[in-house]
Amino acid sequence: MVAITDDLPTRRFSLATAIRRNPTITFGAVLLILLIAIAIVGPSFVGDPLKIAPVYRLRPPSERWWFGTDQFGRDLFTRTIYGSRVSLIVGLSVAVTASVLGLAMGLLCGYFRALDAIVMRVMDGVMAIPSILLAIALITLTRPGLGIVIVAIVIPEVPRIVRVVRSVVLAIRAQPYIESAIAGGTRHVKLLWRHVLPNTLAPLIVQATYVCASAMLIEASLGFLGAGVPPEVPSWGNIIAQGRTFFQIAPWSILIPGGFLALTVLAVNLLGDGLRDRLDPRLARRL
Amino acid sequence: MTSYIVRRLFAVVPVMVVVALFVFFLLRFAPGDPAAIIAGDDATSEAIAAVRAKLGLDRPVVEQFAVWVWGLAHGDLGVSIFSNLAVTRLIAQRLEPTLALTLSTLIVTIALAIPIGVVAAWKARKLVDRLAMGFAVLGFAMPVFVLAYVLIYFFAVRWQLLPVQGYSPVAEGLWPFAQSLILPSVALGVTYMALIARITRASMLEVLQQDYIRTANAKGLATDRVLLLHALKNAAVPIVTVIGIGIALLISGVVITETVFNIPGLGRLTVDAVLKRDYPIVQGLILVFAAVKVVINLLIDISYAFLDPRIRY
Amino acid sequence: MSGILEVRDLHTQFDTLDGVVRAVDGLSFDLDRGETLGIVGESGCGKSVTALSILRLIPPETGRIASGSIRFEGEELTRLSEEAMKRLRGHRISMIFQEPMTSLNPVLTVGTQIAENVTRHLGVSKRAARERAHEMLDLVRIADARRRLDEYPHQLSGGMRQRVMIAMALSCDPQVLIADEPTTALDVTIQAQILDLMLDLKEKTGTAIVLITHDLGVVAETAQRVVVMYAGRRVEEAPVEALFDNPLHPYTRGLMAAIPRLDTDATRLQEIPGMVPLLTRPIVGCAFAARCPLATDRCRAEAPPVVDAGGGHTVACWEVTP
Repeated sequence: MVAITDDLPTRRFSLATAIRRNPTITFGAVLLILLIAIAIVGPSFVGDPLKIAPVYRLRPPSERWWFGTDQFGRDLFTRTIYGSRVSLIVGLSVAVTASVLGLAMGLLCGYFRALDAIVMRVMDGVMAIPSILLAIALITLTRPGLGIVIVAIVIPEVPRIVRVVRSVVLAIRAQPYIESAIAGGTRHVKLLWRHVLPNTLAPLIVQATYVCASAMLIEASLGFLGAGVPPEVPSWGNIIAQGRTFFQIAPWSILIPGGFLALTVLAVNLLGDGLRDRLDPRLARRL
Repeated sequence: MTSYIVRRLFAVVPVMVVVALFVFFLLRFAPGDPAAIIAGDDATSEAIAAVRAKLGLDRPVVEQFAVWVWGLAHGDLGVSIFSNLAVTRLIAQRLEPTLALTLSTLIVTIALAIPIGVVAAWKARKLVDRLAMGFAVLGFAMPVFVLAYVLIYFFAVRWQLLPVQGYSPVAEGLWPFAQSLILPSVALGVTYMALIARITRASMLEVLQQDYIRTANAKGLATDRVLLLHALKNAAVPIVTVIGIGIALLISGVVITETVFNIPGLGRLTVDAVLKRDYPIVQGLILVFAAVKVVINLLIDISYAFLDPRIRY
Repeated sequence: MSGILEVRDLHTQFDTLDGVVRAVDGLSFDLDRGETLGIVGESGCGKSVTALSILRLIPPETGRIASGSIRFEGEELTRLSEEAMKRLRGHRISMIFQEPMTSLNPVLTVGTQIAENVTRHLGVSKRAARERAHEMLDLVRIADARRRLDEYPHQLSGGMRQRVMIAMALSCDPQVLIADEPTTALDVTIQAQILDLMLDLKEKTGTAIVLITHDLGVVAETAQRVVVMYAGRRVEEAPVEALFDNPLHPYTRGLMAAIPRLDTDATRLQEIPGMVPLLTRPIVGCAFAARCPLATDRCRAEAPPVVDAGGGHTVACWEVTP
């Protein structure tokens, strides 16, 4: 849409200034760190998320069951704490995997024009399929599991990264100093490593943050639809899916894990918005 | 102009070809034996063979592909494994609720989001702007199904103003029809609305800095004319682009919203097909949804030519 | 003399990260009916801010007219309601901007942009407004005006766009036209054509012009009277011949030395050393003292009063004051 030009090569990534100047980043980051801490240490302080106690089924939140219990009498506080693990693992692994794949493909596409035409057509096609549908289709054909959920979410997210990286590479290639480096006989690998790669970092980090948020939403949606991780795994999507039948008498079984999901996505989005405003002002103007 | 439209039309072809190839080869190259997975865990080897035969997986890939493309070219999306009904027929049966839901959401959302964005940009950094953008950030993080249940909890369960779930066809009266769509539309539309309101604000803010807006003000034009004609028309291209991008959100959202509210539309059909692993239906729906998305984006590309006279055809 | 526009002790300020910028700092001048007044100075001296202040187009988020008076036909503009100001802008006081490339709306036709000014202020029908737009394009000598009405700005050259701006500004027969660097962005040959056009139209319509420019050459050809501005203040004012014959303020002399001339054998242009002072701090003494070759301790300590040098020539400089 808008050509990326001028000040790119001079921009430097500085985390310290980024945080000081941008309260959104700090807020999002603090919230996220808190949630990560809960996901890591939380499970060692709570009981068994799968323990069934039919006597205590559908109890509302109270001092004994902070978040209430579900129709099998399982403690929802425990399950919600465990659920944060699935969300964060999926969010982070998808963000990292999609970034690595997208970065590699984007660099190659931006650099080798012959490859570009083919790969970008494929990316356009993949992007035409709404991500949840694409993930669903993949999952229909395999046995449920955490790994396949991650793969199913990575595939529709990769094109978003490829597009961003490619546009940065194309813009940098057009810079006079790169042209002169090529004319001066600098090797391609060195050029990519020294000049192109560092410039893609800022937009890549921003985009990866959004991919992370989107992955967590898709994972929960898949779980909710019954097409995510196996039902015995306590993920937020699964907890909500299992709460559907008794929603009218036990609304907490959906509203509380749902609130956690929304909060986590909000934290990651805020982090992304803050990083974008700080690192990539042009992108900020575009969206 | 015509040549621009024709060129855009031709650009659609490779995209749809990739989509078609993708769903075709997904089934063929999936790890493990898709026929066994589709048939279920305790299926006999005869049952698996039957599924394989039904999907045509026992024939050479080239032949399968030819048969499939031939079918597509004739508007044949295949046959459901379980009900033996044509996928096109199943889709046609479920079309009305989904169309009603998405169109009402689309219209209401755009009609609200653009004015919100315009006002936010006009009153930038004032209270209205901060409230609107706070709402947009929250709305963007809110999962559709969580919002749906929050709405059901308050409006249907506690205050009993609207039905908890279900769909009432237009044929059975306009008011029940509208009532059954209110909560699903809100749940479906909020994320989309947040997206459009944000881009409208950002795009308007950039335009309001431009020299020609100063010229318009120097002519003493009324504020509404400056905002709605001079500024909004210039801000339109990014807004319309995002409306197109958001169609994907809407389609994903439909699948979830119809599940929450138990609306017998295409989304519900998708989920049922997934749970039964009825791959031909899933495959047909992906093609249809992708085609809808591609066509809408085509229309949007064409609209650029009307919105911005500088775009060369 | 009947002044149509009287600016008295105008102070316009902006809030920036470095503090309050006093862009216009106590400026006064008069504009007579049908006259062309030049306002001259380097960039950043407050010329454009003066223009925007008169039309009250200073963006309210960052700037304001802090004090002073702007009277147009006896009416105090600084106290007028925003609605009344809107009826005045583009109707009785019009403005032309520096950048013809960006000052026209790219997505509206030229005809629409001229006609909307006419319908807004004269309350005529759309058809009559379009007729008027056609007439105006003819007046600014755009060939094939009928066809141009339906064209978009990007289909026109820079000179043509500035003609359209002039047509737009004059479409409601304003009493005052403020032209902010109207020719700066144009080629030299086009500059002359546009200036000729403006003067010609002034003769026809009797509109008074405030011509803001950094180019003394432009002023010499067009204006009857000149105000020289420095750091938001008026340092000298004179009829145009008097100013060129006998520039009194060292800053004016500096500006003149910086005009390229064909009639001398000087091999390089003289420039005024130093920079325009920071406007975030109140200036003590004469604003030009820091760059003035003649500055004394008195100049740095005490602001010079405005003195009359006779024949409508006034100047604020200790060097001139007896």
